[in-house]
Amino acid sequence: MFLFRWLWKNMKGCRGIYIVALFITLICQSMYILTPYFTQQITDTFIVNENAAENLQNHSDTLIAMLFAMVGFTLLRGILQYSGNLMYEHSSQKLIYNVRKVLFDNIEKQDAAFYNIYRTGDIMTRVTGDLEMVRHSVAWIIKTMLECVVLFSVSLIFFFSIDWLMALCLIALTPVIMFITWLFKRRVGPMYVELRERLSIMNTAAEENISGNRVIKAFAREDHEMKRFDECSKAYSTANKNAAFMWLKFFPYLEITAQALSVVMLVCGGLFVIGGRISFGEYTAFSGLIWTLSNPMRTLGNIVNDLQRFTASANKIIEVYYGSPRILTRSDAVDKPERFEGRVEFEHVSFSYGKTKVLDDVSFEVNPGETVVIMGETGSGKTTLIDLIPRIYDVESGAVKVDGINVTNLKLEQLRGNIGVATQDVLLYSDTIDGNICFGDTSMSEEDVQKYAKAADADGFIQRLSDGYNTIVGERGVGLSGGQKQRISLARALAVKPAILILDDTTSAVDLETEKHIQDALNSLDFQCTKIIVAQRISTSRNADKIIVIKDGKILEQGTHDELITQNGYYREVYELQK
Amino acid sequence: MARNKFDVDETLETPFDIRHLKRALIYVGRYKKKVALSLSLSAVAVIIGLLSPLIVQNAIDNYMSSTDTIPQLLLSGLGVLSCIVISVVFSKLRSKMMTQVGQDIVYDIRKDLFEHMQRLSFEYYDSRPHGKILTRIINYINSISDLMTNGLINFILEIFNLIFITIFMFFVCWQLALVTMAGLPIFAIVMLTIKNHQRKAWQQVSNKSSNMNAYLHESIVGVKISQIFTREEENAEINDKLAKAYKKSWIKAVSYSNLVWPTTDIISIIVRAGIFGVGLLCLGDVITLGTILAMTDYSARFWQPLMNLSNLMNTFINAVAYLERIFEMMDEPVTVDDIENAEEMPQIKGDVHFKNVTFAYDEGINILEDLSFDVKAGESIALVGPTGAGKTTIVNLISRFYNINSGTVSIDNSDISKVTLKSLRSQMGIMLQDSFIFSGTIRDNIKYGNLDATDEQVRAACKIVGIDDYIMSQKDGYDTVVNERGAGLSQGQKQLIAFARTIVSDPKILVLDEATSSIDAKTERYLQNGLNHLLKGRTSFIIAHRLSTVRNCDRIMYISNKGITEAGTHDELMARKGDYYKLYTAQSV
Repeated sequence: MFLFRWLWKNMKGCRGIYIVALFITLICQSMYILTPYFTQQITDTFIVNENAAENLQNHSDTLIAMLFAMVGFTLLRGILQYSGNLMYEHSSQKLIYNVRKVLFDNIEKQDAAFYNIYRTGDIMTRVTGDLEMVRHSVAWIIKTMLECVVLFSVSLIFFFSIDWLMALCLIALTPVIMFITWLFKRRVGPMYVELRERLSIMNTAAEENISGNRVIKAFAREDHEMKRFDECSKAYSTANKNAAFMWLKFFPYLEITAQALSVVMLVCGGLFVIGGRISFGEYTAFSGLIWTLSNPMRTLGNIVNDLQRFTASANKIIEVYYGSPRILTRSDAVDKPERFEGRVEFEHVSFSYGKTKVLDDVSFEVNPGETVVIMGETGSGKTTLIDLIPRIYDVESGAVKVDGINVTNLKLEQLRGNIGVATQDVLLYSDTIDGNICFGDTSMSEEDVQKYAKAADADGFIQRLSDGYNTIVGERGVGLSGGQKQRISLARALAVKPAILILDDTTSAVDLETEKHIQDALNSLDFQCTKIIVAQRISTSRNADKIIVIKDGKILEQGTHDELITQNGYYREVYELQK
Repeated sequence: MARNKFDVDETLETPFDIRHLKRALIYVGRYKKKVALSLSLSAVAVIIGLLSPLIVQNAIDNYMSSTDTIPQLLLSGLGVLSCIVISVVFSKLRSKMMTQVGQDIVYDIRKDLFEHMQRLSFEYYDSRPHGKILTRIINYINSISDLMTNGLINFILEIFNLIFITIFMFFVCWQLALVTMAGLPIFAIVMLTIKNHQRKAWQQVSNKSSNMNAYLHESIVGVKISQIFTREEENAEINDKLAKAYKKSWIKAVSYSNLVWPTTDIISIIVRAGIFGVGLLCLGDVITLGTILAMTDYSARFWQPLMNLSNLMNTFINAVAYLERIFEMMDEPVTVDDIENAEEMPQIKGDVHFKNVTFAYDEGINILEDLSFDVKAGESIALVGPTGAGKTTIVNLISRFYNINSGTVSIDNSDISKVTLKSLRSQMGIMLQDSFIFSGTIRDNIKYGNLDATDEQVRAACKIVGIDDYIMSQKDGYDTVVNERGAGLSQGQKQLIAFARTIVSDPKILVLDEATSSIDAKTERYLQNGLNHLLKGRTSFIIAHRLSTVRNCDRIMYISNKGITEAGTHDELMARKGDYYKLYTAQSV
């Protein structure tokens, strides 16, 4: 029932139309039972009636009228049915549109903890295949259920009104069908859970194959990949078959029981006719409408089948639907709409990934407008440290403060709006270069885009591309060299004119001349900005206001270039290496 | 190259092609025995199903008037029951077989598509959002399974049904049979009209869903960037626009599709009215009333298969919109492929020759022009120069990731365009700029370079790159699970793992493309020692901006201006005081 409540909740905006659609189904279903009536009347009056010939002679206009009525009736039913169906389509589309919206918002807001668990292919499955299943159930399963219930109850009332004993005989088999269906439901449920799991695995395998296509080619691992994917594809196919076979295992029992109604009709009805309990006319009436009982019975299995499938999918969606990120704006957050000054403080900050301690009691501060360079060995915690400032992660203990306020007390949007980050793993969108640079502020003018591209020393190569700033770059910026991607990413970070600029090893793939240019540009930005730069090169760090060296999550050295080279520590060592 | 993005439809130029259908039938053809068997099973089930009304009719007529015939009545009941049981069992067998066939066909198509996908070059992957490729291999193929499972069988059965009843009708009364058939032209016109719109509409649906999925995919992959740039709301708006477009296209498509059934229904009723009208008013003297009654019944039986067929047609048109896309991708030319009779690359010694190589990604904009150089086996070559000058391009050409426009690239005197890609690439070790980590254990990721590598070899490689300590410090050691985003690993660690992956592949030619850019200077120095050992006896190409990395190479090539502008050892180039000298002095602190 929870699932239906959830559906109802998400049908906001289309509930009315859905109810109308259900009513139309009711009407159409009744009309459907009535259709034979016309044929019946015409036959009775003009064919089998003893005055048939006479009627035809004298009342041929009645015949024509009846024929028109018959066509008109069907036309009306057809129109009703068509509009009803479109209403179902409308409301089910509206429903998945609503759900998709929430899912997308939620996916966008999820934090790293979520993304460490859910793989891209898996999330994709939920928003594509699973959602499609939900649509299907709202558009068709519920409708079919209603049709069956209406048909079954109307004819049941009709049957009881004619002869209760005969009616009882006919529904005697219903409990049997119920029982078989119940057994089936228990068995098939897990199979659909398995099926969609397999789909998700296959989706993930394909997704990784596409993302990793360069590595695959580099190692000529196409055969290995085919084998890997083949296993997933086969498992999915098998799961599909298994679910279908489970249905086919129960299908004969359900089908035979439902069809056996006609045997019951023949034998019991026959006996009652012989015994004089019912008239022959009544027998014909019963047997003419026997399908109104047997059809719903045989459809029951199908409905249960689809419902189980729906449940398996809906549960997966709901997991993401209600999964709330842990990193959120607190209700008592400080409102700070003005531009931040850019002071950054770390106070005894510790952080762990699972059980691995990554940062341990880190304290330092950066004044507005200062440049800080963070250095350290691979895996020492540099990226984690800077990720704590825009709250990609939250600290475990201690506090990160911006402008003297704990970042957890700031509005997430305002905090992040004041920070520009160029990440290490450059990710560009499959959009134009222009679109990528103004990613953080789509209203930016072309001149500004070019200005920041120039600052990142990217203008030159962009101009040389076939379509200049309108060149579409592939996903992840494929087609551009590493250094070119980094420069676009830098331009993107600068373009938001952040109060705090974070560069995570942003110039590692650019040549030294370019780096020099970028440094000069960073020093002459037309807005005040605190710069926190992760770098490996002494050329970057030598003019910094402060250099922080991290080792195993702790601050090892801290000071200016001149201070640190006098110490016989890590920095000095790196300096010697690069001299 | 023309690139596609998430909000641009991929237009399909080809008009509807009957060959798509033929091609789909080839897949069905592989299972023709099973299909034929299913067909016979269905036929039997249908015929037996027809028997029971006869038995019932007989019982009603003869056994319901006196108590003496109760045994016969019971017997008739038993007869009906057996008919039901047999026909149900037969349909079950048929369904089981067809489910199998349908799923196998879907599996076959997916397999073929995936295999083709593996042969497509970088260009293909670089020129469209990955989400669109994903949608084809997963969602589109799933969409055709319905058609494959039951569509075909039902189609054949209904056609048979139709022929059977038509003959029967003409036999009973040709005049009224003609009346029944009079509905056909109207039916055909309506269907054809709807069909054209319908096909376009469903193509739109497939486009719009592809766009939506592509954007979703990018949003998931790029979620960190979106959050940092507080783009959530704008992204939601874009998603909203795409979702709305999808919804609209869907509603349009179904408003055509849903027309089919009511229209057929109405035509069939008009025809029935026609039979009554014509039969009673015009042919009253020629035919009996019984014939009229029978004919109304037959006309219903004539239109039922037509209705079913038109529903099948819906499924079919819907599926074709996806099939077209699937086949289009299967037909995507493999630009970098083995030539006919390509030979196996013999064991590589390591001589590399570029002769007058010209190359362009986009026609007219040459990246390399008339480039020639020779590298002897065992030499280590550093490629330096400004970003975007073509260093990565040169190393990509050695592995033949792209075809060159003119000139030749050869290894040990074998033109690499004449050997099989597999034999070439499997002897090369390429470490790319972005170090993609597959989800799985760290061990699996390293063994990707050499599936037969022993645990010792894996560990030895990790020791060379200096990440063994880190891995062993993890609770599960080499069995630590990492995912596609390499969560928990820093960029530098990912590079080191990718490095180890390259080392275990024991390549004859080693290519390091900015392999150490995210690794700190100290770790790199450590790595350098291991690397020197590794480089011995192998030809290597190293691209690095950190000149400390390249200083020790046998030869340094300065790449700019579409070719090599300077080449020589570190000392030679320093003495020359050219571009390299400038670069080097800029870096020295």
